Formats: sequence, structure tokens, C-alpha cells
Amino acid sequence: MEANSFDPELIRAVFRLVWRKQATGREKSQLPDNEPEAGASTSKKSRLTFANANALKLSCELLRLFVTEGIQRAGTIAEAEGSSKIEATHLERVLPQLLLDF
Amino acid sequence: MESNVEHGEEGEESVIELFRDRFRLCTISIAEAEAKQNGMEISPLIVACVSDLAFKYARQMAKDVELFARHAGRKSVNMEDVILCAHRNDNLTAMLRSFSNDVKAKEPLSDKQKKRKKIPQSDDKAAADLIHS
Repeated sequence: MEANSFDPELIRAVFRLVWRKQATGREKSQLPDNEPEAGASTSKKSRLTFANANALKLSCELLRLFVTEGIQRAGTIAEAEGSSKIEATHLERVLPQLLLDF
Repeated sequence: MESNVEHGEEGEESVIELFRDRFRLCTISIAEAEAKQNGMEISPLIVACVSDLAFKYARQMAKDVELFARHAGRKSVNMEDVILCAHRNDNLTAMLRSFSNDVKAKEPLSDKQKKRKKIPQSDDKAAADLIHS
């Protein structure tokens, strides 16, 4: 059985939230002030990015790897110190390299 | 206009919080499974930290894949864009690429493959006609 992973629908929703915000930011910086709202919303829809199903699956996998890698690396530190519980100090030590790798 | 924007922002904040909570639920199960595999216990604080980090990473990923897709002249994000996100680490790129190959392999037969299967049948039919005639 494969390990648990993120819900693709959740990832899709998060992505869409970010893309909608990005699109709004682009609209504000490009359009003149007197552009009617109806026009702005239709152009937003036509420019809005979307992801295909496989890309979502892959994104879930990437996020799952992020979590797994973080826990594993922190666990290695904890083990090296002889502790059986992974604590904040262990995570702190692996965080810089984790963020550089992802 | 301004009040709409404010309401919009407040609404967005609550939606973000909802997503953050759902992220935590997913992370809890992944993290606990991972820790169990290594025979270790994990503190709930770590799970919350890793979850919030993953959430931030997901939001950054959204921006990155959108930029990659647009750079390639596309409006839709595909697997290559996601693989590009992992370019900082070669091992990670390799893992993602092999996962993407698995996903492609598990896909139901595409139209092209269906057509390929049909052609031998029509050849058989043509051969059968020749024999009968």
C-alpha cells in the first residue's frame, strides 16, 4: 500500500486561490482605472491559469516528499542524539538544507 | 469599491485558514506514518511546523508553475512545469520524473493507442475478405 498523500483537490484549490490573486494583481497594474468591472472579470477568467490532473498528482507527490524528507532528516538527527522523539530542535537543524533543496 | 475589496480580503484570509487546517490534516497522517516507519515518535509541534512550511511551499509552487507555463506560452500547467520546480536538487528531479512516468504509464488508453489497436483488426478483415473472395 502506498503511503498517504495530499488531496489533489485541496492542492488544486490552493493553486487556484494563488492564481486568482496573481491575476488580480496583474489586472490592477495593467488596466486603467475606468475599466468597467464586468470587463475586468471576463478578462480575468480568460487569463486564469489551470492545471491538468497529472500535474496535480505530481504536485501532491512533491509536497509529500517535502514532508517526508523533513521528517526523515529531523529523525536522523534525533536518532544520532539517542532520542526516540523528534523535537523542534531536530527540525531546526535540518531546516536550512531542506529549504535549499526544495 | 474599497469595502468590497476589504470584504474580499477578509474572505480570502478565512479561506486560507481553512486550507491551512486541511493541509495539517494531510500532513499529520503522512508525518505519523513516516515517523512510525523509522520507529520514532513525533511531537505535534513539529507536525504543525512542517505542515505550515508545506503550505507556504505549495503557495510558492503555484506561482512558480504558473510562471513556467506562461514562459512556455501555455495557460495550463503540465507535469514538466512541476518537475522544473524541483530543479534545485537532482535526486528530487529524478524522483519526480520517475513518478511522472508511472503516472503516464497508468493512464487509460489514449485515442492514439486505440487507433493503433484498430488498424490490425481492419488488416485482418481485409485479409479475411481476400481469402473469402
